[in-house]
Amino acid sequence: MSKITKSSTAEYFAKNLQQVGFSSPLKAVLTTLKEAVDNSLDACESAGILPDLLVEIAKVGIGSTKNTDLIRIVVEDNGPGIDSEDIAKVYGEYLASSKFGRGQCSRGQQGIGISAATTWAQMTNARGVNVISKTKKMRKAMSAQVDVDIKSNTGILKKKETLDWDRDCGTRVEFILDGRIQLNGDGGLLTYIEGTVLVNPHLTMTYKLVENDFVTVNRVSTEVPEIPEATLPHPHTFKLGEFITHSTLFGKTTLSKFLKTGFSRISDQSISDFVKQGMPKNLIEKSVSSLSEEDFKKAFMAVQATNLMPPSTKSVLTVGEEALSKSITRLGEVDFFAVVTRKPCICDFKPVVVEVALARFKDRHQTGDSSVQLLRFANRVPLQFDKSGCAITWAIESVNWKAYGLQQPKDSLPLGPYIFAISIVSPFIKFKNASKETIDASDELVSEIRLALIQAGQKLSRHIRKEVKEADLERKLAHIEQFGPILVECLARIVNAPEARKKRAEEGLRKLLGRDSEEAIADLEAAESKLLEQKIREKKKGVGRDEIEIDIISSSDLVEEASQPQGTKKTTTTKKTTSKKST
Amino acid sequence: MAKLLSIRDLKIDIPKEALLLADKMLKDLESSKRPVLEAVKTSLDNSLYNSKLGYLTPGDKVVRTELNVSSVQKLARVVFVLEILLRNLEIGSVNTKRELYYMCKGLIKGNSRLRALDFDDQPESDAIIDFIGDMLEVYREELNCFANDRGGQTYSQQLVVTETMPDGDKAIVDLSSLGTSPFQPKNKPQALRLKAKKKIDFCLIVESEGTANTLVTMGFTKRNNCIVMGAQGVPSNAVRGWSKLIQDELDVPMYFFGDLDAYTMQNIFRTLKAGSAASLIRNSDFSAPNVKFLGVLPEDVKTYDLPHYKVRESDPVEARALKKAKDALENDPFFLDKKNKKLSDILRWLIKEKIRCEQQSFFSVDPRDPIKTEKIILEKIKRGSYI
Repeated sequence: MSKITKSSTAEYFAKNLQQVGFSSPLKAVLTTLKEAVDNSLDACESAGILPDLLVEIAKVGIGSTKNTDLIRIVVEDNGPGIDSEDIAKVYGEYLASSKFGRGQCSRGQQGIGISAATTWAQMTNARGVNVISKTKKMRKAMSAQVDVDIKSNTGILKKKETLDWDRDCGTRVEFILDGRIQLNGDGGLLTYIEGTVLVNPHLTMTYKLVENDFVTVNRVSTEVPEIPEATLPHPHTFKLGEFITHSTLFGKTTLSKFLKTGFSRISDQSISDFVKQGMPKNLIEKSVSSLSEEDFKKAFMAVQATNLMPPSTKSVLTVGEEALSKSITRLGEVDFFAVVTRKPCICDFKPVVVEVALARFKDRHQTGDSSVQLLRFANRVPLQFDKSGCAITWAIESVNWKAYGLQQPKDSLPLGPYIFAISIVSPFIKFKNASKETIDASDELVSEIRLALIQAGQKLSRHIRKEVKEADLERKLAHIEQFGPILVECLARIVNAPEARKKRAEEGLRKLLGRDSEEAIADLEAAESKLLEQKIREKKKGVGRDEIEIDIISSSDLVEEASQPQGTKKTTTTKKTTSKKST
Repeated sequence: MAKLLSIRDLKIDIPKEALLLADKMLKDLESSKRPVLEAVKTSLDNSLYNSKLGYLTPGDKVVRTELNVSSVQKLARVVFVLEILLRNLEIGSVNTKRELYYMCKGLIKGNSRLRALDFDDQPESDAIIDFIGDMLEVYREELNCFANDRGGQTYSQQLVVTETMPDGDKAIVDLSSLGTSPFQPKNKPQALRLKAKKKIDFCLIVESEGTANTLVTMGFTKRNNCIVMGAQGVPSNAVRGWSKLIQDELDVPMYFFGDLDAYTMQNIFRTLKAGSAASLIRNSDFSAPNVKFLGVLPEDVKTYDLPHYKVRESDPVEARALKKAKDALENDPFFLDKKNKKLSDILRWLIKEKIRCEQQSFFSVDPRDPIKTEKIILEKIKRGSYI
């Protein structure tokens, strides 16, 4: 018989990096960026700091793996920083997380992602991640290289040193790894950055991608989203094994107390309902530590058979229609848009909130006959791969967009120069895989997303209808001018009519068609006033469009500085600010 | 150029009628009234069928086109094409629809003010020509717009055709003197007169041109006093007018031999026998109500153990034909008429069994006998095995 060996979590992930988003050199770069940005944003949010992020991605050489480049990925934030003793854990140890299973809507959950990025860098370039971090308590920043010790699943610090950093707190990570860069398209870095910018209105980000100039996108909201406290789990989301394990956290408490304090939505009334559903009465006051598996099973089955109030929706957060509508203007010059934030609701016994932003842009070079650009988000993290299996895609395809004035091939995404951004926030999003690329499509979730899309579609259709009416009027006016004279001329020729008759007929024709165009004008006015009503309603809700600013910093100004941590060198840079006014 | 022989005894004078119409439109415009054009609605829901008459006739429904900003383009196009057609009638010039399409394009090209009228594709100009025909209730041939004469190749040892030429001369064609060549009927049946040298027993119209040719090559017309015609699929106006002429002038039994499937029954046989909904105003001259359906009949499949196929519902063409058959049973006055119950029974049988059997399957009965199909056809005629 072969020998049974036990391997560490790090060993498992090192062998299965494809499961967590490192399945190709292209995805490796994107996933690394994503994990680093997620960590920065989560850290800022938990410390109540408005995030300022610097992202820099550059090719620095040829990769050791075939057909790859050596890529440097830098993400720097103004977050709370990491204590010196935690740095090795955060970057070098799998499943070391401050958020695991808390039931909050944070971006990261398990503590796998960033350690996997370190592993990828270590495996392809023989060096882990370089971290500089400073908390408010520290006088000097700490710099170190973190590697993963695969055998023991622990982080190892190398080249540890301290340095002056002219800021209160913050973290800078630098990965150098084998990968490939794609900027645009579904899996593109730019698409990721745009998505992140869209759903984080409070974020200011400066980024430099490859040879391009530095771009700064300023925040449009000064409110740090408050992540709601986690609520207790709902018993209907549990399985028997989990139920028993959960009870061990409560030691010697009675079953009734365990049920009431360990779960949400269980009251004294519910306990007596459980008894009605077959839970032995004598178990109620028994200590959970003395219950047998059989007892647990009886209690669990009774709980499952009882109707309980659905869980609270307080644990979800939204970006909000106002912030979303401001944020959307940061992606380009918007022609028109519609945003919808649904009220939080319960899908599959989990609180969920769906937000939708549909926008048409003037300058994004999208063509009318290609599919809309789809941006999917789960807990404010862009999902960029495998869209066909995702609940969001299913929901979009199930809507009849033709009713709202968009073209749509059967069972497909609609066509046109639009961005469809759909965000799902929930403390318990069910992903199809560990790399969090696709949301599992349950009927309830799909229909909730569908409702949000329909509401947004209705708003959008008012804009489109107005355009259609405008085009209709234009076409009608052109028709009168083009065909009227031909009709009269041909008729006059056939009957050999004198000039006077021809003139009279021309005048009569003008009168007739004038009446028609008046009708078309009235139609257009009706469509316009409907749209105006919608705009007034939105303005009352604070969903309007303000002036926005996009800073463009010339690369020649910053190219030297970029390779250094921000603030380590005092250089004055000149910013060329262009201000864009959206109409 | 000499005036063309008219297709039928026209009740109306087309140029005069067109002139009145144009004058009325102009008058309406002068008094700021919206001119309206009306044309017979040529669709199944406006088709009537009377078994005594034997073909589909138009009901009361009309398509009204009133002048407004949306229809001004169509009306301008109608008047523009009408002017071309009137000129053709005046000078005796004929054209096909495709030629007319290019003539329109040529005129538009030479006059920048007409550019807005331009046709993107031939179906656009065809629709206008058809509308003019339906509006004046005249055949397109009466507007000097002819189609190519597809199908209808005819073989006979007894038939003699006398054709009156445009200049009044007469041409006499004895079909037995044409060797292996068939007689090709033109789409002006009224210019033809038929005579039989010897009594003709029947006329056989075969759906497949190839099979008609095989039968004749193997001596069908030598052994039988008959006429054999190849229909070449959906019968063209030439085939329909020619069949009607044979029926009227020779008064011989006529049989149609084709595939057993929904498409043949509805599109080919029904059109030959009773005309079509699209040509409501001309069915009286372009259908031969006496034609009988010789087969393939459902009973033949059994009697002769004919190879047949399952209709593939995954094939959009076959699925559409089945759907149309169901539709026809509910809405087609021809199939709804009691007199045609046996024909509609075949449709019902086809929908139920979902099979199709081709005319050529008769060649499977005795592959060693080259004239087995002829024998079966004659046997079926003798037995009265037709509908």
